[in-house]
Amino acid sequence: MASEDRTQEIMNELRNAVVNYDEDKVVEWSNIAIDEGVDPFVATIDGLADGMIEVGDLYNKKEYFVPELLMCSDALYAGLDILKPAIEASGRKPEAKGSIVLGVVEGDVHDIGKNLIKMMFEVAGWTVYDLGKDVPLEKFLEEQLRTDCDIVGLSALMTTSMVSMPEIIKKLKEKNPNVRIMLGGAPITPEVVEKYGADGFAQSAGTAVDEAIRLIKMLKEEEMGK
Amino acid sequence: MAQMTLRERFWNRFTGKDVDMTPVGSTTTYGVVDLMKKCGHERPLADRDPVAMTELGIAGHKYAGFEWVKAMGWDITILSEAFGCELGPAQIDIQHFIKCHPYAEGIEKLEFPSDFLERGRFSVYKENYRLLKEKVGNKLIIFGHTEGAFTCAANLVGVEQFMRWCFKEPGKVEKTLEVTKEAAIAAANFAFDNGTDYFLFGEPTAGPALLSPRFFKKFVEPVEKEIVSRIKGPVVIHICGNTDPIIEMMCDTGVVGISIEEKTDMKKAVEIAHEKGVKVFGNVATATTLFQGTPEEAYKESIQALENGTDFLCPGCGIAPRSPLENIVQLKKARDDYFRPAG
Repeated sequence: MASEDRTQEIMNELRNAVVNYDEDKVVEWSNIAIDEGVDPFVATIDGLADGMIEVGDLYNKKEYFVPELLMCSDALYAGLDILKPAIEASGRKPEAKGSIVLGVVEGDVHDIGKNLIKMMFEVAGWTVYDLGKDVPLEKFLEEQLRTDCDIVGLSALMTTSMVSMPEIIKKLKEKNPNVRIMLGGAPITPEVVEKYGADGFAQSAGTAVDEAIRLIKMLKEEEMGK
Repeated sequence: MAQMTLRERFWNRFTGKDVDMTPVGSTTTYGVVDLMKKCGHERPLADRDPVAMTELGIAGHKYAGFEWVKAMGWDITILSEAFGCELGPAQIDIQHFIKCHPYAEGIEKLEFPSDFLERGRFSVYKENYRLLKEKVGNKLIIFGHTEGAFTCAANLVGVEQFMRWCFKEPGKVEKTLEVTKEAAIAAANFAFDNGTDYFLFGEPTAGPALLSPRFFKKFVEPVEKEIVSRIKGPVVIHICGNTDPIIEMMCDTGVVGISIEEKTDMKKAVEIAHEKGVKVFGNVATATTLFQGTPEEAYKESIQALENGTDFLCPGCGIAPRSPLENIVQLKKARDDYFRPAG
């Protein structure tokens, strides 16, 4: 069992390795964490996920760009490949913080933004149902009903595909008025979100999770007020 | 100053001479449904048929008030298609898009084919140029447009993979660019041989929305420099998103002009570009204003772009197909009002 100081050192190494997109180091320190008896769940949250939060900040500050995010994400997943099975083997089932259905709307194949946002949600402990790209409208609806997710995230880079969003939003809200809808993509602005009747706006991977948490809080407050 | 012909106005501004007023037009794609309906030539035919392509090009002048016209169709998949990228089908309001990446598994077999200009849609463009020259060549400037070498390279191997290679396999990035660079040069020189007045490269994948300025400096700038130096005529480069951090590097590629979006600071861009003798095209917002905004907003933004010193009043990016013509015509209206003599 690692001492408190040693645990802290392992967390720092994991965090820095993710921030510096050093996949080998992430693997090395994830293995060290397991070998030295560190709780793999703690290593995931306080090490890897913490690192990714810093990466999100660096992205928002324009110090990191998409290639850096992709590299950090590779490093993160390399660590998760080691730590996740250990979490499962420990029998511990971390409580999901929320669930989201994500997809790029029909007619659009640009999915880098959606993939980065998916990763941030996974890191933050959310359950993510990824529908991929070029997703037909009905699929969002089916998946929301099947999973009873808290949030549906719709992404579009093309203005042509973005115009189909209001129809999906309307149908989703009709079936489940409680579901929160978040939009993302280059042509999306806060004004579009309001005009289309959605609830939130994922400006970047770094801010998407914060926005999702805001949406869930909003929903809870509404329910308490009833 | 006496009113100039449209060719004179464009060319004088392009070459740094005096003009009666700032030229207005589009240096990016304008495959707009309203224009298709007006001229009776619609996509997807206008993507592959030289007559429909030409008529839609001229419709930009006739109905939107653009003072120069576009050749070579309405999408930026031209080089990638000739390299073997499968394209998603075009519809009236959907451009061709890249459906798969033929070199995703490896670039060992990637080379610049000797029959490159016989592939894809180049024969259509040849006829498209002939028709445009015949119909409007004595009156209007004609420009051609393809994706740039970096965007093409990313299309061939997949954007995510190409971005990762920037870190992990820089040699592969350079090797891919070596090949796509030749394609870009060949396509632009083909356009000049067929009568284009200037040529535009669209590099959406090379902008800061995806690529860091550091990698732009390392991979994009040297390649663009070589491309521009080996092309027979003047080149303009368009990059989407907020290009504030790379304006200087865009200008240093040797291009005559840069085309920028509304997310970029026009005033600063003009300041930097003019010091280097480079002209600026832009920057009325396409997604928010021309597509979703009102005519009043389009008019106001056009005036703002003129106030900020744009050399060519243009949309900031390709015009979204469903943008109302009523919004697009505001560019010319604003330009005319702005330069109308007082009293």
